[in-house]
Amino acid sequence: MHDYFLFIGLPYVALFSLIAGTVYRFNSKKFSISSLSSQFLEKEKLLWGSVPWHIGIITILGGHIVAFTMPSFLQALVSNVKILYTFEALGLTFALFAFCGLIILFVRRLRNARIQAVTSNMDLVILSLLTIQILLGILIASLYRWGASWSTHTLAPYIQSIFSFRPDITYITNMPFVVKAHIAVAWLIILLIPFSRLIHVFALPLEYLFRLPQIVVWNSRRQEESVITAQIESESRRFFLKAAFGITSGLILFITGIADKIIPFFRGPELSKGEKGELLKQKLQKMKATIKQKELETERLTKDFIYISDLKNLKTDEGIYFIDYQMKPALAFKGDNGLPILYSAKCTHLGCTVTNKVKEGALLCPCHVSHFNIKTGDVIDGPAPKPLPKVKHILMDANNHIVVNIDKSKLDEYKVYIVKGENT
Amino acid sequence: MKSLTTIADFLRARFPIEKMNLQSMLMKKEVPIHKMSWAYYLGGLTLLFFTIQVITGLLLLFYYQPTVNEAYDSVKFISDKVPGGAVIRNLHAWTSSAMILTAILHLLTTFAMKAFEKPREVTWGTGVLLLFITYTFGFTGYLLPWHQLSVNATKVGLQFIGAVGQYLPGSLSELPNKLIEIIQGGPSIGQETLSRFYAIHVVILPLAIFAILGAHLLSVQLHGMSKGVDEKPKIKEPFFPNFLIKDFSLWAIAFLILFILAITIPFESFFSFPLVEPYNALGSTPEGIKPEWYFYFIYYPMELLPFWVIIIIMILLVLGLFLVPKIFSGTSRKTLTFIAIIAFIYFVTMTVFGQQIFELIKGGHS
Repeated sequence: MHDYFLFIGLPYVALFSLIAGTVYRFNSKKFSISSLSSQFLEKEKLLWGSVPWHIGIITILGGHIVAFTMPSFLQALVSNVKILYTFEALGLTFALFAFCGLIILFVRRLRNARIQAVTSNMDLVILSLLTIQILLGILIASLYRWGASWSTHTLAPYIQSIFSFRPDITYITNMPFVVKAHIAVAWLIILLIPFSRLIHVFALPLEYLFRLPQIVVWNSRRQEESVITAQIESESRRFFLKAAFGITSGLILFITGIADKIIPFFRGPELSKGEKGELLKQKLQKMKATIKQKELETERLTKDFIYISDLKNLKTDEGIYFIDYQMKPALAFKGDNGLPILYSAKCTHLGCTVTNKVKEGALLCPCHVSHFNIKTGDVIDGPAPKPLPKVKHILMDANNHIVVNIDKSKLDEYKVYIVKGENT
Repeated sequence: MKSLTTIADFLRARFPIEKMNLQSMLMKKEVPIHKMSWAYYLGGLTLLFFTIQVITGLLLLFYYQPTVNEAYDSVKFISDKVPGGAVIRNLHAWTSSAMILTAILHLLTTFAMKAFEKPREVTWGTGVLLLFITYTFGFTGYLLPWHQLSVNATKVGLQFIGAVGQYLPGSLSELPNKLIEIIQGGPSIGQETLSRFYAIHVVILPLAIFAILGAHLLSVQLHGMSKGVDEKPKIKEPFFPNFLIKDFSLWAIAFLILFILAITIPFESFFSFPLVEPYNALGSTPEGIKPEWYFYFIYYPMELLPFWVIIIIMILLVLGLFLVPKIFSGTSRKTLTFIAIIAFIYFVTMTVFGQQIFELIKGGHS
C-alpha cells in the first residue's frame, strides 16, 4: 500500500508542488529566487565545496536525464561493455566528487559561526536529504551493479509512466529497499525545491560565462582610472583566452586531420595477395610492351629493311599503324591499284597522330582538325602546312627477293618492307 | 667605374641595409586600408598555395616513379591504393590551378595599384619571373602522369617552338627543332623527356623559385606595401599582428575550400576518359587535346591567328611585362586599373569562351 503512496501519490504531489510553488514564488517573491550565496561570509571552503559539488551533481543529473528520456539509446550504447564500464566509472567518480563537495559544504555550514547565522532549518533539511540521496546513489552503484543498463527497462518506464499520467509501478515494487528509498527521496527533494534555496536551479546564470565582467566603479577620480585599466585588462585577457582557445582547438583539429591522412600515407597500402598479383601482372605486361618497343628500336638501328605487313592484309579504308625509322607512328594503306601507300602518321602541323580510318577519301588529325587526301597525302583543309610525307617502301616476293617488276597476278604473295635512309 | 657606382646605388636603394632588421621589416610595417586593400592578400595566398604544392609534391615523390613504364601505374597506385593518396594528389592538382589563378590576379592588381614604382622595380621583376616559373611548373608537371592528354599536350606545346623555324632565315630555321630535341632529349617524346621534365619540375624549378621568391619577399618586406591608390591613404593598420592574423584566417579558409574540393571532386573528372588512358605511342591521338585552362589565353589565339602575329605578341608581352616599371612610370592608377580590367576581361573570356570563339570563327569541321 505504501508503495502506491510513495511512487504514485508522492510524485504527483511533488510535481504539483514544484510547478505551483515555483510559479507562485516567481510571481510573488521574485527577489527570493536565489541561491542565497554566502560567498562574502566565507570564500575558501566554499570554493572547495561548491565547485566539486556542482560539477559532480550536474553531471550525475545529466546522466539520469539521459537514462530516463532516451532509454533505448542508452541501452544501445551500454550494450558495448567498454562503454558500460566507462559510463558507470564516470558516474561513480562524479558522485564521489559531488559527495566530497557536499560534505565540505555541510561541515562549513555547521562549523562557521557567520554561516550559522544565515542558516535556516530548511537548509539543514535539504543538506541532509542531499547527503542521504547521494549516499543511496553510491550504494546502488556499488551494490547493484550496472544500473546504467538495468535502469533503462525498469526505472525509465516508471518515470515515463508518471509523466504520461499512466502510472505503472510493476517494476518498482520488487526493487531492493535502497533503490526504493533513492526514488522516494528524489521525489521529496523535488517537492521541497520551491520552498528552499534549491529554487536557484531555475535561475541558471548561464550568461555569466559570456557577459563582460562587471566592475563596480567607485565615486572617486583616482579609483575610477584604475578601474578602467582593470576593465581593459580583464577584457583583453578574455579576448586573448577566447582567441587562444579558438586557435589551439583549430590547430589540434588541423594536426589531427593531417596526421590522419599523412601517417597511413607513409605506411603505404596494405594489399591483399590478389591485389598484389594484379599489380604484378600489370607490371609484367608493361615490361613486355617495353621489350617490344626496345626490339623495334634495335631493329630500326640495325636492319636495312623492316617488314610491315603482307600486302593482302592492307585495306583501302583502314590503315595499319607501324613505327617508321624515326620511331614515329606511320600508316599503311592499300591504294586503288592494289599497291601499298605508306604515310607518316605524324601530322605536319603540331605532331599529333592522325586517325587510321578513311572518311570521304580523307584522313583526319583530331587535334586541330586537319584533313589529308588519302591518295596524295595533300592537305584538304585545316591548319596543317605540308602534306603528310610518304614513307618509302619496297615489296618482296615469297622467296624474300626484292620485286623489281611487279607482277599483278602475284600481288597477294608480296610483303611490304620499309627502307632505311630513304624515309622522309 | 662610374657605371659600377650607378649599379651599387641602384642596389642600395632597392635593398637598403639599414632597413634589414626585424624592427623595420616586421614590427613597424603598416598596411594602408582603402577600397583596394583586398588585393594585398593575393600575394600571401599565392605563397600559401606554393607551400601546399611543396608539401603535397614531396609526399607524391614517395610513390611516383618517373619512368615511361611505371609513371602512369604509379600515379594510379597513388590514387587507388595508397591511403590518403587520392586526396594528396588531388590537392596538388587543384592547388596548382589555384596558385596560377591567384598569381595572375596578384600580377593584375599590383599592376593596377602601381606597386612597381621606384623603389619596387625589383619586386615587380622578380614577380614576373615567378609567374613564368609557375607556368613552367604547370607545363612540366602536366607531363608526369604520362597519360594520353599529358603527353600529347606536351607534344603540341613543344611543337609551337618548332613552328618558329619557318620565319628564320637559312640554316637558322632548323634551330627551333634542334631546341625541341634538346628539351625532349631525343627526336620524340620518350623516357628522356620524362626524366628531364621530372628533374626540372622537382629540382631545378623549386631551387629557382626559392631563390627568386626570397628576393621577392625580402623586397616586399623592405619597402612595405605600396600605397595602392592615388590619394594619400588615411587609415593604416599594423602589419604585425593585425594584418598577419587576417592573412592567416584567409589562409585557413582557402585551405578548407581546397581540401573540400580535393576530397569531393577528382581533378580528372573534367577530362573525358580516353584522355586519361595510359599514353599509347602507336595509337591515334584522342580528340580534345588541349593545354590546361591557364594557357587558353594564348592557345586559342594561336589556333586562330597567323603564327607570326603570335610570335610578335608574345615577344612584346614578355618584354612589356619586364619593362612595366619603365613604360608606365608616369601613368595614373586610374589608367592602369583600366588596362588591368581589360586584360582581366580578355583572360576570362578566352578561358571560359575560348572554345566557342574558336568554333564560331573557324566554323564547324566534321
